[in-house]
Amino acid sequence: MKWIPNFNSSNSLRVIFVIAVFILLFLSSIAYKHNKDLDESSKVVMHTYEINIQLERLMSAIKDAETGQRGYIITRNARFLTPYIYSRDKVNTSFITLKKLTTDNPKQQKNLEKLFKLIIQRFVSFENCLKYSDPKTYDKRKLDNHMFGGRILMENIRFQVDEMNDIEKNYLAKRLKIYAAEISLSPLFSISLFLVALLFILLAYRQISRDFERLKIYNKKLLISSGLMAESESIGKFSTWQWDLDSDKIDYSDNQYRLLGYEPNAFVPVKETFLEFVHPDDKEKVAKSMENIVEKKQLPFVYYKITRPDYEIRYFKSTGKLLTDQQGSKILLGINFDITDEHLLNIELQERNRELEKSNKELASFNHVASHDLQEPLRKIQTFVSRISEADKAVLSESAKAYISKIEVSAKRMRVLIDDLLLFSRTNTTKKEFIKLSLNELLENAESELAEIIEEKKAVITVSKLPKLAVIPYQIEQLFINLIGNSLKYSQPDTVPEIKIESEKVNSADYPDLLEPNVKKFHKITFTDNGMGFDPQFKETIFVLFQRLHSKTDYPGTGIGLAICKKIVDNHKGHIIADSTPNKGSVFTVFLPE
Amino acid sequence: MQKNALYILLADDDEDDRLFFKDAFEEIKIQTKVDFVHDGMQLMEHLMDPNAKLPDILFLDLNMPKKTGKECLIEIKKTEHLKNIIIAIYSTSSSEEDIEDTFIQGANIYIKKPSDFNTLKKIINEVVTVNWHYHTSGLNRDNFLLRLK
Repeated sequence: MKWIPNFNSSNSLRVIFVIAVFILLFLSSIAYKHNKDLDESSKVVMHTYEINIQLERLMSAIKDAETGQRGYIITRNARFLTPYIYSRDKVNTSFITLKKLTTDNPKQQKNLEKLFKLIIQRFVSFENCLKYSDPKTYDKRKLDNHMFGGRILMENIRFQVDEMNDIEKNYLAKRLKIYAAEISLSPLFSISLFLVALLFILLAYRQISRDFERLKIYNKKLLISSGLMAESESIGKFSTWQWDLDSDKIDYSDNQYRLLGYEPNAFVPVKETFLEFVHPDDKEKVAKSMENIVEKKQLPFVYYKITRPDYEIRYFKSTGKLLTDQQGSKILLGINFDITDEHLLNIELQERNRELEKSNKELASFNHVASHDLQEPLRKIQTFVSRISEADKAVLSESAKAYISKIEVSAKRMRVLIDDLLLFSRTNTTKKEFIKLSLNELLENAESELAEIIEEKKAVITVSKLPKLAVIPYQIEQLFINLIGNSLKYSQPDTVPEIKIESEKVNSADYPDLLEPNVKKFHKITFTDNGMGFDPQFKETIFVLFQRLHSKTDYPGTGIGLAICKKIVDNHKGHIIADSTPNKGSVFTVFLPE
Repeated sequence: MQKNALYILLADDDEDDRLFFKDAFEEIKIQTKVDFVHDGMQLMEHLMDPNAKLPDILFLDLNMPKKTGKECLIEIKKTEHLKNIIIAIYSTSSSEEDIEDTFIQGANIYIKKPSDFNTLKKIINEVVTVNWHYHTSGLNRDNFLLRLK
């Protein structure tokens, strides 16, 4: 059973989202690395510039010392010596800083050491210059030498500083180049990745909106069908309930509340709620069937009564089934039908049935009375009359003899009446076993039954091929006996009786007034004779019980024979009709369903 | 009473019928001894009496007070020393149901009480003179109901 429409897209959606998330994670990790690299490179730049600045400071300190010394030598004013004195400290400070800055670079350390040596030499030369320029120890040649040496040393220092700066610059350039290479590769790549991620997210969005549309349509359909369901429940007087066995939650349909005599959602049903409505007589039965349903997964119809809050008793019929939905949770589905109307109707029908049975029984006992109790005194009358011997009769008067013979005739007639009446009632009450037989066979039996009278009247009976049908054999035989017997009985006195029996298949549509259209084909069997016939105005009444067209003195009979024919044909769901032209003959037509 | 006389027993509650029966036997001049019982209860008491002579042919009316002929028939056929008695159903009824039932229960012949005394004589003659061993061996539904030609 399909509970929820299947949205297959949820899986692809998940894949799309996972891919997009990974791309975004990748992109952000790249961005992080770029930031880190930028930070690194700026640090390197800073480092280079710091070294550069410190070196320049070193240089300027030495230059300051040089300038101060020169001023002193020229003016011999001690004030010019101040920068020279401080320069040593400045040089030392810068030196320490530089030493720290270049700890990671052994080459620069070496250069720094070289530079330090040169600077010490320069300061030694400063000292010497000061010494030889002093008027006390003045030596022109030595001063010149030292001044010149200081000049060369200064150049060397400059060279050394420039070299260190160059090394730093090269290093910076190299690092920047590496970073530039790393960064140059990424913008295109990350933009395309970003675009891919964007595409995925757009795809996902499209899928989501599509699913949303579908959901909306399904939702609408569901709303319509649940509305229709509720409507049909209230029209059809049935209701449904669902019991989720896992969560133990029970849902009643709106009509369930109404059938129980409440407004929809008037209370929250729990497991025991329903049993409270069940009539005390049926509580045990219903509780048992509710338990069975969980075990057997299916519930045969259970019939019981419920009591509404206003004490009205309603008759219910219920069934149920254990369902397992796609998520594997077990749901018990129950259906209740309010069958009160049917039940009351049923009771009425049962009542009528009982009455019918009773009257049938009375009829049967009437039959017994007729067959046994009425016959008994009649038989005795006949037997006693038969015991009046010829010797007894001889001593009787003529009129007494005539009376006795009248008693005999009347008793005989009464016997025929009783026998025919019994035959008539038995065509209805005895068991009806249908056997497929050739009607020709039954007709032959009927002819042999009537052999005596056929012989006597020298009748000519012509029979065409009759069909093979499922019939009650002895009844059809009786029908044939009665119809042929009837024709023989009412034959014309001076003509040889001729009876023609024919059969053909006809469509019920050709006899709309007579035959039921739901049976398409009938066998039409006609009995045509050349007898005295009857007035066609009696063609319907001749089938009525005890209806006679002739006086019983001319044609003895009970008026039951044709009524029996009609009953037999009725038993076979067929029809019999008669037609006649007086003094020409009659036609009896029997229609039997195929 | 001759030694080889046929012993006939009629179970019938109707006094007139017993009278017809007795007269008919007297007129057919066959050596017979005819006894009567008036109802089913009396019949069974008679048959169960160890000193009683069992009849050669039992004529059994169906409609009797206290115990019906059909009940007697079933009881007789169930009782070992009685079940070989030849039983002729002798009834007013000619309903198919009665004929069918008694045939199934093992009656030998079914006689519809005639409404003519001469016919009664003929029937009794027929039943008494028939070779029962021969008749019973070829017992079938068609000749169960006695019909006189």
